[in-house]
Amino acid sequence: MTAYLVTVAILVCEAALIGLALNFQWGLAGLVNFGVVGFVAIGAYVTALLAPELGWLPAMAAAGAISAALSTGLALLSIRLEENYLAIVTIGFGEIVRLVILNEEWLTQGALGIADIPRPFAALGEAFGGDLVFIAFTGALLAIVFLGLEGLARSPFGRALRAIRDDATVTAALGKPVFALRVRAFAVGGAVMGIAGALHAFYLRYIDPSQFTPIVTAYAFMAVIAGGRGSNVGLLLGAGSIMALLEGTRFLKDFISAIDGVQLSALRLGLIGVGIVLLLILRPQGLVPEPRRRVADVLPGGRD
Amino acid sequence: MAAQLFLNGLVTGLLLALPALALTLIFGVLKFANFAVGAMLTFGAYAAWVANVQLGLPLFASALVAAAATALAGVVADHFAFERLRERGSITLMVASMGVSLVIENVCRFFFGNASRGFDIPPSRPIRWEGLRINHEQITTAVTVVLCLIAVDLLLRFSPLGRAMRAVADNASLAAVRGVDRRVIARLTWALSGALLGLAGVLAGLDRAIDPLIGWNYQIPIFAAAILGGLGSPLGAVAGAIVIGVAEEMSALVIPTNYRQVVSFTVILALLLFRANGLFGAKAARK
Repeated sequence: MTAYLVTVAILVCEAALIGLALNFQWGLAGLVNFGVVGFVAIGAYVTALLAPELGWLPAMAAAGAISAALSTGLALLSIRLEENYLAIVTIGFGEIVRLVILNEEWLTQGALGIADIPRPFAALGEAFGGDLVFIAFTGALLAIVFLGLEGLARSPFGRALRAIRDDATVTAALGKPVFALRVRAFAVGGAVMGIAGALHAFYLRYIDPSQFTPIVTAYAFMAVIAGGRGSNVGLLLGAGSIMALLEGTRFLKDFISAIDGVQLSALRLGLIGVGIVLLLILRPQGLVPEPRRRVADVLPGGRD
Repeated sequence: MAAQLFLNGLVTGLLLALPALALTLIFGVLKFANFAVGAMLTFGAYAAWVANVQLGLPLFASALVAAAATALAGVVADHFAFERLRERGSITLMVASMGVSLVIENVCRFFFGNASRGFDIPPSRPIRWEGLRINHEQITTAVTVVLCLIAVDLLLRFSPLGRAMRAVADNASLAAVRGVDRRVIARLTWALSGALLGLAGVLAGLDRAIDPLIGWNYQIPIFAAAILGGLGSPLGAVAGAIVIGVAEEMSALVIPTNYRQVVSFTVILALLLFRANGLFGAKAARK
């Protein structure tokens, strides 16, 4: 049971990392990214390939950097596009990543996947029980990313992104470099997705293309919608409740004996779809709506 | 070899024309990119499979069943999801369509599992003509699609419904002032798109094995076709579909067939960068 709870906790942390990244791109900056899974996969594969050679920290840094570089490239090409088009370009990017991973066997071993990915602090893990050390590592990683992104969201950079999301024309008229800010927002999100991919590889220690389906993107969107677009605290709650829902429905099988494994997974994935639509209709502001800052919060003595 | 690939590409393109048309109609009237096109195509394929294999209907009747069932699915999706979000902007509708897509795909998976299925049709020898191999399925596809396209064209151009749809697509507020009920038009647009996607599902099921991801395989080419034609332009979608179909098949001459989808993606990206309004359309894709 403890092992199971540890698994759930780590899955929640991974979902929260991916969700935080999407929340930065979509919630804060208003940039739709339907190719989330592609960036996570890139992070995971970079980590899997580099960690045995370089150690975990350089590998994870490379995962973030390469994913950020690719999302910068994609953003430079497509961020000017209207949102419907940006969505299709990013979804296409996700598919291309999948095709490359599946077909470039010399690098990724194709459908076979890559095994024996070393975990961080493996030696420490041997001494104290691997799971506890790893969960501490995961928690620390999530905390660092959360604080970093929350800091960015409160910084002038974050304020400019919210302004662009709400009205790009006005923001441009006020002299903000809209294009450059958008590209940077996309890059930051990409870096965090890459790091989430690294965590995925470290945890499972074996990755293959079947782990990176568009459903990863759907989870991230549901986490952001459930939590409240633009709210990082909400996102943690959102990611936590979705994983609880997903894991909770696993036990449905014990009560409904008539359905098999495939049906159960179909039921759970279908529920995610229903959840996305219902949340959009019933609670578009999410569990924790984005805090609206007033002038008084920023300028002491300013008018309310 | 090249001629054979061109012929195959032409048929693939015709197959893509129906979903691309459905996508572009929804975009024109309701102003959002419907990411559930692939899932609705899958739904149509399974509806036809149930009619054909489990109920023993001939394929033609099964196709009608599929068109009707998928049209109904579109209307139901509109009733429960899209109509309630209509005023919330295209991003919300797009994300909702992703949710709907998950629901439809997994309804199919729930009832039919992940196994591949095929229609109950007698295998037949391909026709050989001037060194080309032409399958009976290819002829069926070409004839069906051309008939559908003529029907949709007549509908859009001459019927009151078509006029109303074009009016809403052009300027929804103005159409409303002139007494066009947007809700009714939206429902009928979903029904028409659903019927087209259902038929496309049947044709796709003739071409390859039916599984829960059959529609997803067409997702990127469908979008490429509709964008190439300029989202919102029915004629453009058809022309775009044929270009994409031929380009994907002919690409086998120069790149590994595993990377066929890259062709569609590259076309989308290049087009959006250099000719953002598509080959025929006039809608701005840039912010």
